[in-house]
Amino acid sequence: MLIAYVDPGLGMLIWQTIVAAFVGTIFYMNKTRRWIVASIRSIFGRGEKTESTTTAVTQNPPAEAEIKNDAR
Amino acid sequence: MRATAPSFRDPAGICFVFDGRVLRFVAAEALPEFERFLQTNFARKFTGEGKLISSRRLDENEIAPLRESHELKSIFDAQKIGAVYEHEKISFASFPHEWPPEMLWAAGKLTLELAQSALADGFCLKDATPGNVLFHDGKPVFIDVLSFEKRDAHDPIWKAHAQFVRTFLLPLLANRRWNLQLNEIFTTRRDGIEPEEIYRLCGALEKFLPQMLSLVSIPTWLSRKADPDNGKIYQPHLLKNAEKAQFILGSLFKRLEKNLNSLKPPASNESAWSGYMDTHSYDDPAFAAKEKFVREALAEFKPERVLDAGANTGHFSALAAQSGATVVAIDLDAACVGATWNRAQKEKLNILPLVVNLARPTPALGWWNSECPSFLDRAAGKFDGVLMLALIHHLLVTERIPLEEILRLAYELTNQLLVIEFIEPQDAMFRRLTRGREALHASLDAAAFEKVCVKYFEIVHSLILAGTQRRMYCLKKRGVN
Repeated sequence: MLIAYVDPGLGMLIWQTIVAAFVGTIFYMNKTRRWIVASIRSIFGRGEKTESTTTAVTQNPPAEAEIKNDAR
Repeated sequence: MRATAPSFRDPAGICFVFDGRVLRFVAAEALPEFERFLQTNFARKFTGEGKLISSRRLDENEIAPLRESHELKSIFDAQKIGAVYEHEKISFASFPHEWPPEMLWAAGKLTLELAQSALADGFCLKDATPGNVLFHDGKPVFIDVLSFEKRDAHDPIWKAHAQFVRTFLLPLLANRRWNLQLNEIFTTRRDGIEPEEIYRLCGALEKFLPQMLSLVSIPTWLSRKADPDNGKIYQPHLLKNAEKAQFILGSLFKRLEKNLNSLKPPASNESAWSGYMDTHSYDDPAFAAKEKFVREALAEFKPERVLDAGANTGHFSALAAQSGATVVAIDLDAACVGATWNRAQKEKLNILPLVVNLARPTPALGWWNSECPSFLDRAAGKFDGVLMLALIHHLLVTERIPLEEILRLAYELTNQLLVIEFIEPQDAMFRRLTRGREALHASLDAAAFEKVCVKYFEIVHSLILAGTQRRMYCLKKRGVN
């Protein structure tokens, strides 16, 4: 009887929320990694390239850019 | 009856088939969002590609006679209707309980593609069920245009995720792993199969396989531990950073796509019947003669819509489709139906293959038995031509259907042409089915068959297939000019 009142999607919803929190940390890690790469490039005198890379990233839809990074 | 039962679950609107027209009554409060959706690049692009059903808003002059209609009055009375849209008509409606896994997979792929693509225009799918998809001209089409809702840019959760898993991924998983047929799942379950049910089917080690863990085991463990009265779980978890929310959602869709791709049915699913075309009892000249007979009958009658009953892997369905007909190919064997789907996709043939046993056709399902009409309700009188090739002995012997009943059903299904193959009781395959009960069919011969045929049909042509105990008949329905 009690089973009939259990939401079949409840476990899946909690799992989605947990994974979302984990993926959220990857989002910041990707951002940090990009910042470090950009900084190193600017230190070693590749400022022009850094600028164009930054522009390209900004012009892309942000999520798409992140997903591409994540796929690597 | 001029109208079918409406869809009623979505408060945003009701879809109703009336006088052969597919009408969608959009609630006044849902109309602004729906109109914004139709204006998006996404909706225009996918409608243009035939992946999203086309919608045309009716003007007041067209709505006025609908308001007068007795059948539609209750819809206008029940809620304030903001607008009425007419959708393109789908030639033959089918349901997930009639699809082979290949078609469920294609419907899932489309659903995911639309859910992902809609994000760019700020919309999201609020439900993700195969009931939103029909097949038209050999392709899946998303029909429930009211399923798209404006998305909160800060929300990283896709509410329809669990439903997508229940209705697409887990049925495909159960089919692949335990050969559980989709009609067994969807005939009794409108909303797919629960992770709990799959969990119970899993062996101790299977529960820890990576795919099982994420789709079945962890959700099951979590739902057992969770407090169902804790409303906090259901509250939106909005993030401050919209970019992060979109990243999380994009990552979810990527994982779902990966899961779906891993569950794609293999190109060659084997079953007792899938090798029939290589192992049948005809020699080459007899088979060529049969093929020629069917081809000529199709050329003579030029049917626009053909039902191929007992289609096996769709050899003759393909002939009919190549002759220009829209074909519905039915067979009880899901592996054969899947092979027909694969062939139709590869050769771009207009064939809708369905898992239907003519002796136990799909029943009417759903609320008042009217949400999903039975196969015979949908099929009767909808075809200009019916093919019943190498089928009759299965109905006569295995199913014990009287000959007259078979011809009577064929008469109901076709508007004009019936191409039927008669198999004598002396035929090797017939005898294999009778298994010592030959006496039951002692009186059956070509003369007896023709005697029943002429009650319902005129015999236009017939042909004895040389070297076999089989005859082909091209029959024309009586009372048709």
